[in-house]
Amino acid sequence: MIGLRASCFVRRGVVACAISLALLPPCRLAAQRPVPTPQTVNPLQRAFDLERRGTYAAAAEAYRTVLQADTADQTALLGLERSLAAIDRTATMVPEMRAALALKPSPVLYALALRVWTAAGEPDSVRTTVERWARTEADRVVPYREWGDLLLQHRDLSGAKRAYLAGRTASGDPAVLSAELAQVAQLQGDYPTSATEWLLAQRLSPGYRSTAVGALAQTPEAQRPAVLRVLAPESGGEGAFIAAVLLAQWGDPLRGAEHLRRYLAAPGDGARQGTASIAAFVEQVRVLGTRDARRALGQALELLAERQSGAAVARTRLEAARAYADAGSAPDAHRMLALIGQDRNASGDLASQAVRTLLEVQIAGGELPDAEKTLSDQGDRIPAEDRATLERRLAIAWMRRGELDRAAAHIDADSTVDGAALAGRLALLRGDLKTARSYFQQAGPYAGTRAEATDRTALLALLQPIEADSLPALGQAMQAFERGDTVAAIAGLDRAAQGLEPKAGGAQLGLFAAQLSAARGDAVDAERRFKGVAATEVAATAPAAELDLARLFLRLRRPAEAVAQLEHLILTYPRSALIPQARRLMDEARGAIPST
Amino acid sequence: MKRRDFLGAMAVGATSARLGHVRWPRSADYFLIPMDDAQAEHLKAYGVAFRLLERGGRGEWLLNYRNGAFLLPADSGTQRDAALAGVTVQSISAGEADQIRAELAGTNADAVPLEKAPKVAVYVTPGAAPWDDAVTMALQYAGIKFEKLWDAEVMADKLPTYDWLHLHHEDFTGQYSKFYMNYAGAPWLREMVELNTQMSRRLGFANVPAAKKAVAERIRGFVERGGFLFAMCTATETLDLALAAHDVDIAASYADNTPMDPGASARLDWNHAFAFTGAQIEASPTVPQFSDIDGHQVNSLGRRQPLGSFTLFEFSAKIDPVNTMLIQNHRQVIPDFYGLTTSFNKNRIKPGVTVLADEPGAPWAKYLHGELGQGTYTFFGGHDPEDPQHAIGDAPTDLSLHPHSPGYRLILNNVLFPAAKKKELKT
Repeated sequence: MIGLRASCFVRRGVVACAISLALLPPCRLAAQRPVPTPQTVNPLQRAFDLERRGTYAAAAEAYRTVLQADTADQTALLGLERSLAAIDRTATMVPEMRAALALKPSPVLYALALRVWTAAGEPDSVRTTVERWARTEADRVVPYREWGDLLLQHRDLSGAKRAYLAGRTASGDPAVLSAELAQVAQLQGDYPTSATEWLLAQRLSPGYRSTAVGALAQTPEAQRPAVLRVLAPESGGEGAFIAAVLLAQWGDPLRGAEHLRRYLAAPGDGARQGTASIAAFVEQVRVLGTRDARRALGQALELLAERQSGAAVARTRLEAARAYADAGSAPDAHRMLALIGQDRNASGDLASQAVRTLLEVQIAGGELPDAEKTLSDQGDRIPAEDRATLERRLAIAWMRRGELDRAAAHIDADSTVDGAALAGRLALLRGDLKTARSYFQQAGPYAGTRAEATDRTALLALLQPIEADSLPALGQAMQAFERGDTVAAIAGLDRAAQGLEPKAGGAQLGLFAAQLSAARGDAVDAERRFKGVAATEVAATAPAAELDLARLFLRLRRPAEAVAQLEHLILTYPRSALIPQARRLMDEARGAIPST
Repeated sequence: MKRRDFLGAMAVGATSARLGHVRWPRSADYFLIPMDDAQAEHLKAYGVAFRLLERGGRGEWLLNYRNGAFLLPADSGTQRDAALAGVTVQSISAGEADQIRAELAGTNADAVPLEKAPKVAVYVTPGAAPWDDAVTMALQYAGIKFEKLWDAEVMADKLPTYDWLHLHHEDFTGQYSKFYMNYAGAPWLREMVELNTQMSRRLGFANVPAAKKAVAERIRGFVERGGFLFAMCTATETLDLALAAHDVDIAASYADNTPMDPGASARLDWNHAFAFTGAQIEASPTVPQFSDIDGHQVNSLGRRQPLGSFTLFEFSAKIDPVNTMLIQNHRQVIPDFYGLTTSFNKNRIKPGVTVLADEPGAPWAKYLHGELGQGTYTFFGGHDPEDPQHAIGDAPTDLSLHPHSPGYRLILNNVLFPAAKKKELKT
C-alpha cells in the first residue's frame, strides 16, 4: 500500500500531461493544418510516442532532448525516469536530476531525486535531499514518508524503519507515521511492535481499525499472546475490540467475547460505538462453525439485544437462543426464550419460532419428557410440517435411549418418506429385518440428507444377504450402535454373525464390525477382522474388506502393504465395482497422484 | 477382444489363481494396446510399455495405427501390469499380428521396435513439489522411473549417464523467472533465491546468472554428444537465451548486481542456441517475460494473447518416424495452455527446426523438434496441459482425473521415443 504511492504520483504526472496536450487549442482548422514533418513534431510528444511503442532507449534520448531546452521540465524528467526504469538504467539520469534540482526545486522533483539517488546507490544524497526538502515543506513528515516508502519498495526494511522514525523525530509527534511503522514491523516479523503502532494509528484515525485487524490476523501463533497483551491489557482499552475480533479469528471466540464485553464496559470508544462494534464482532463469529463460536455468537447477540429497543430485541434474542442451542448451552437458550415470552413487543410469528427453538433446545438437551409436554401444550402454535420434523427428532432421541415404543408413538401417523426411513430404523433395532427392508425400500433415496440416504442404502445392503426375517441379536447390536457404544455394537455383530454363513450375511456383518473397529482406532483388531472377511472370498464383501484393509494400511503408514493388498484386490476381483477406487488408492499409495 | 472380455477372461482365471498365477487365453501371442478412444488409460499405457523394456522385453510402437498403439509380447508380467494399471489390452494371435503388420505396410503407418528403456533424468530444484512439473507428474502417474538432478550433478558431469533429460520451468537466465520484483518478500521466492545463490557460490561462480549459463552449456554438450532433451515452459526460451548470451549480460541488476547490457539483443550469438534466433530481450526487470520468443506473453498485460487450440502436424511414419513418434495422439486438435513461455513465435524459430504443432492462423508454434550434433531436442510450450491458466499456488493437477489427456500424451511420447530403435531413413 505504501509502496504504491510513489508510482501513483508518477502516473498522475502522465495523466496530467496527457490531458494538457489534449486541451491545447487548435490554431487552424484540421483541413488547413500542414502534414507534420519530423521537424515540426513536438519533442515531448515524440518522446511519449517512443515510450508508448516500448522503445525505451530512444524515448529516454528524446526526453533528454527536451531537457536540453528546459532543464527542470517535470514532465520530461518523469518520462525519462519511466523510460530508464523500464531498461533498468535509472541511475544514468543523475546529471539531469542534479541540474533540475539546482534550478527549480519542487516536491515533485525532490521525490524524483530520492528515487534516482536510490537507484544510483547514493544513500548520503538521499538523506541530504530529504532534510533539504523537509526544511521547505509545511508538513515536515512528507519527505520522510516518501523516503521510507522508497526503501520499503526496495525491501530495505530496517532502512525504511529508520526513515519513518526520523520523520517522527523531525515532526515532534510520537504518533505520526504509525501505520507505516506498523507495516514495517509486520514485514520484519515483529507483530507486538506492529500492534503497538496500529493502536497509535487507530487513535489518529479510527478508519485504520479494520486494516489493523486484517494485518494482525496474520500474527504467527507464537507471537499472539504478546500481541494480545499489547492490544488489551487487563484494564481493557481501545485495543480490546481488535483483540476480540482477532481471538475469534484465531479460534478462541469465547475469549474474544470476553474482550468485547470489556471493551464495551470501558468508557470512551467502546461505550460510544457499542452497537456497531458488536455487529462487527457478530459478523466475524457468525461464519465460524464451532460450538464455542456459536456460544460466543449467543453472548454477542445478547449484548446487542441489551442495546436495542422494540421488536428488534425479541428477534435478536431468538437468534441468540438458537446460537446457544446449537452450542449445547440449554440454560442460556432457555433464559433467552423466557425473556422473549415476557416481551410484549414480540410478534405471534416470533412466538411460534420461539416454541420451535425451545423444542430444539429441549430435544438437544435430552429433556425429552419436557419436550413432549411442550409439544402437547404448545405444538399447535407451530406449522404442521415443522411439528412433524420435531416429532421425528424426538422419536430419534427416544430411539437412541432404547425407548423404542415411545419413539414409535411419535411417528405412528407419519406417512412421509422421512417417516418410513425412521420406521425402518426402528424395525431394524427390534431385529425385525423383514419390516426394516420394506420401510427402507419405501423410503428409497428421497428421505433425509444425502448422507442419510447413503447410510440407509448401506444398511439395506447389510440386510440383503441375510435370509432370516428376524434377527434380534442384530437388533441389539444396532441399538448399541445407535447409542454410540461401539464396543457393544461390535460384540453384538459378532454374536449375530455366529449363526450365519459367510455368504448369507455373516461376511457382511463381519465387515461392518471391522469397519467399526477401525473407526474406533483399534487397528490391530480391525486388521484381523478385515483379513478374516477378505479370506471368506464372498463376492462384493471380500473386495470391500480388502479395500478397507488397504486404507487402514495407508493410515498406519504401511504403503507397501497397502499396494500389495490393492494389487491382490484388482487381480482377484477384476469385475468388482470397487476397482476404480482401488486403482485410485494405489496411485495415492505410490505417490503418483496428490493425496485427497 | 473388448476390455470387458479380457477382464472377464482374467476373472475366470482368478477364481483359482492368485498373485503370480494369472492365466490368459492360450491363443494370445501378443497384447495389442490400442491408443485410440478404446483405451481406458492412455497415460498409464506408456508405463506398461516402458516397464516391459525395463524387464528386458521388447515391443513395437505402431505409428499411425490406432493412434500409436503398442504391440507387446503376451507375457504374464505385462498382463498383470496392464490389469493393475487399468490399461486396455487386446489379446491377439501371431496371425492377427501379421495381419496388422500387413495393414501397416499398405498405409501411412509403420512399426518401430522398442528395445531399451531409456535412463531418465529430470532437472529440478531440490525439494520442489512433484506437482509443479508436468513431466514429473506424467512420469509418476505412468510409473516410469526417473532420477532427479540439479546444478551440482550437471556440473559434476553426471549428464552422460542418462539417455533423456527433462527441463521444465527453470530460468536459465538466472533471474528467478523474473518474479523477483513482483513477488519480493514471498517465502517461496526467498527460498528460491537463497538456494540458487548458495549453489552458484558452491560451484565457484560469481552469481546465479553465471552459474546457469555454465549449466546450460553442459546441457548443450549432453545433447551434442547424443542425449535426448525435452524442455517445457520457460526452460525452452531461457535455455536458448542463456546459450546465446554466453558473452553478454542479459540479467537484470537484482540478479548479478550489474544492469543488463543495453545492446544485449544485438550481441547475442544465436549460432550457439538450439532452436531460436534473432530474438529481442525484454529489458524491463519488472516484466516477467524474457524475450519476444514467446507468442503469448502471459504475464505482460498489454501483450497477453488469448488461448486457442493447437493442431498436431501429420508426418509419414515410414519416411519421418521420429517426428511421427512425437505426435502420436488420439486428438489432433488440443486446447492450448499457458506457461511463462506458452508458445514460440515462428519468426524466431531457426529454419532447420521442425514444427510439430501450431495454432492455425496464429504466428506462433507450440511444439518443436530439432537435432544438435548427435542428439535431439524437443521444446513444448506451456506449463501444465490440464491446468491452462496455471498460477502460483494452484491446487496440484490430479492426473487420475485426466487419464486421456492428449497434452500429457505428447510428453510421454517423448519419454518413449529414445527407446525406439533408429531405422535408416528412406529419403
